[in-house]
Amino acid sequence: MAIALRGVRKTYKSDHGPVEAVAGVSFDVADGEFVSLLGPSGCGKSTLLMMLAGLEAPSAGHLAVGGQPVAGPRRDAGLVFQDATLLPWLSARENVLFPIRMMRLREEAYRERADRLLATVGLRDFASRRPAQLSGGMRQRVALCRALIHDPAFLLMDEPFSALDAITRDEMGLVLLDLWERSQEPGRRKTGVFITHSIREALLLSDRVLVMGRRPSVLTADVPVPFPRPRAPGVQDTPEFTAIVARLRGMIEHNLRDAA
Amino acid sequence: MSDLATTPVAAAPPARAAVRRAAIGQGALRIGLPLAFAAAVLGAWELLVRLYAVPEVILPAPSAVAARLVSAWPFLLTHAVPTTLEALGGFLLAAALGTALAVLLAYSRLARLALYPNVVFFQLIPKIALAPLFIVWLGIGSTSRLAFSLFIGFFPVVIATATGLAAAPPEMLRLCRAYSASPWQVFTAVRFPYALPFVFSGLKIAVTFAIIGVIVGEFITAQAGLGYLILFAASQAETALILAAIAALCVVGLALYGLVALAERLVLARYGHR
Ligand SMILES: Nc1ncnc2c1ncn2[C@@H]1O[C@H](COP(=O)(O)OP(=O)(O)OP(=O)(O)O)[C@@H](O)[C@H]1O
Ligand SMILES: [Mg+2]
Repeated sequence: MAIALRGVRKTYKSDHGPVEAVAGVSFDVADGEFVSLLGPSGCGKSTLLMMLAGLEAPSAGHLAVGGQPVAGPRRDAGLVFQDATLLPWLSARENVLFPIRMMRLREEAYRERADRLLATVGLRDFASRRPAQLSGGMRQRVALCRALIHDPAFLLMDEPFSALDAITRDEMGLVLLDLWERSQEPGRRKTGVFITHSIREALLLSDRVLVMGRRPSVLTADVPVPFPRPRAPGVQDTPEFTAIVARLRGMIEHNLRDAA
Repeated sequence: MSDLATTPVAAAPPARAAVRRAAIGQGALRIGLPLAFAAAVLGAWELLVRLYAVPEVILPAPSAVAARLVSAWPFLLTHAVPTTLEALGGFLLAAALGTALAVLLAYSRLARLALYPNVVFFQLIPKIALAPLFIVWLGIGSTSRLAFSLFIGFFPVVIATATGLAAAPPEMLRLCRAYSASPWQVFTAVRFPYALPFVFSGLKIAVTFAIIGVIVGEFITAQAGLGYLILFAASQAETALILAAIAALCVVGLALYGLVALAERLVLARYGHR
C-alpha cells in the first residue's frame, strides 16, 4: 500500500489565530517500506500522521494511500500512539480485539489471532491481565498487537515508545523490528510510517529516514538506510550504524541552527 | 540479554503469615478505632448526664434513647417506611433524569451552551429554600416530597456525569474514530464506562440529598414519616423520641447509601481502572 503526499499543508485555527503546523510536505512511501519521520518537537509530525490516518483533513495539498485519496478514516490502517491508550477495564486480549469490536466484525474469528500476536510479543501469559497489572512496555506491546489485529495494510505509529524508560524502549524497538519483519509476507506487505525523536530507533527500524525542520515543517532530508533485512540487534553496534547516526544528528543540528 | 551471567539472588520466602497478621491488624485498627472512639463519646455522654442529673427533656442519656428506640420500635418502623420509599423514589428519578440530561449535555453543543451554566447555577443556590414552593405547587402529599428530593438530588448527578462523560482520553476517542465506530458504540464501550466512577460519586451525593429533601418536606407538612415524627416529638418535648427517630433516620440513610456503594463496588469491579 504505497503512500504519497504532495504539497500537504495544515493550518489549525486556534484562539491565538491560525497555527501553521505543516507547510508543504511532499514524499512517497513505497509499498512494503518502513519510513521514519524525525524532527523537532512541535514541527507537525503528529499532524501529518493524523492526516494520513484520515482523522484530520489537510488545508491544502493531496494525500493518497494505495493510489486512493485519503477522505476519512480507513479500515486498513493500524494506529499506535505515544500512550498505549488501553481501556483499563478490559484484559490485554480484549484490548487487542477492541478494533474488531468497533469495526463490528466477529470477535470469535480473531480471538486466536489476538492470542498469537500477544504470544509473539512475549505476553502469552498476560492475555487475561488488565492494563494496571502490566508494565508500561507491556502495555505498549498490547497497543502494537491491537494495531495489527485486523492485519492492516499500513501501520501509523506516533512516538510509540517515547513514554518508556531507555532500557524498555530499546527492547521495544527490537520487538517492533521482529514483529515487522515477521509480518512482511510476500504478496501482503505492510507499509509503515513511524514517528520518533530517536535517531537510533529510526535507523534500526526503517528503510528510509525523513528529517523534518522546525514548524511550519518542510522535509529537509531523505536518508536511505542501507542495512539488509532481517536485521539483528547487533546492527546497532556496527561502525556504519554509528556513522549514519552521526550524519543524521549533524543534519538535525544544522536545521535547528538555521532556524535559530 | 538472557545470555548474561546472572547470579540468582536467594530471596527470603515472604513471611506470608506476618504479612497477613499485619493486614488483619490494619483492618482491626480501621474498624475498631472509630468504633472505640464512638463508644467513648457515648460513654462520656452517659456519664455526664448521670453525674450532673441533666433533665431528660434537655438531653437524655444514650441508655434512655436506646430504651425509647426499643419501646417505640414498631412505631418508628411505620414512620420510616414512607420516608425511605420517598427518598428512594426521589433518588432513582434523580439518577435517571440526571444521567439523561448529562448525556444530552455531552452530545449536544447547543444544549451544553444553553443549559450547563444554569445547571451549575442551580447547583450553587441553597435549594432547601425552594421546598415550600413544591408544597404550594404539588400539595402536601408524597408527590411534593418526591419531586423535591428529585430536584435536589438531580444536580449533583448531572454535574458529575457530565464531567465523567468528558473524561475519556481524546486519543481513545480518536482511535474509535479511526476504526469507524458508531457514536453509540463509542458511548457504550468508551465514554460511559469512563464516566462510571464520576457517575457513582454523583449518585452518592444524590442519595444523601434525596433523604434531606424528604425530611425537609416532612418538616414542612406531613402526616407520617421520620421528619414528621421528629417535629411531633419536639412539640411534645419528647427528646428521647427525637433522638430515637434520628437514629432510625441514620439507619435509613446508611442503608440507602450502602446500596449505592454496593452497586458502585459491583460495577467498578467490572469497569474500574484496576
Ligand atoms: N488541534 C490543534 N489545534 C491547534 N493547534 C494545534 C492542534 N494540534 C496541533 N497544533 C499545533 O500544531 C503544531 C504541530 O503539532 P504536532 O502535534 O503535529 O507536532 P509534533 O511534531 O507531533 O510535536 P511533538 O514532537 O511534540 O509530538 C504545534 O505547534 C501545535 O501546537
Ligand atoms: Mg506529536
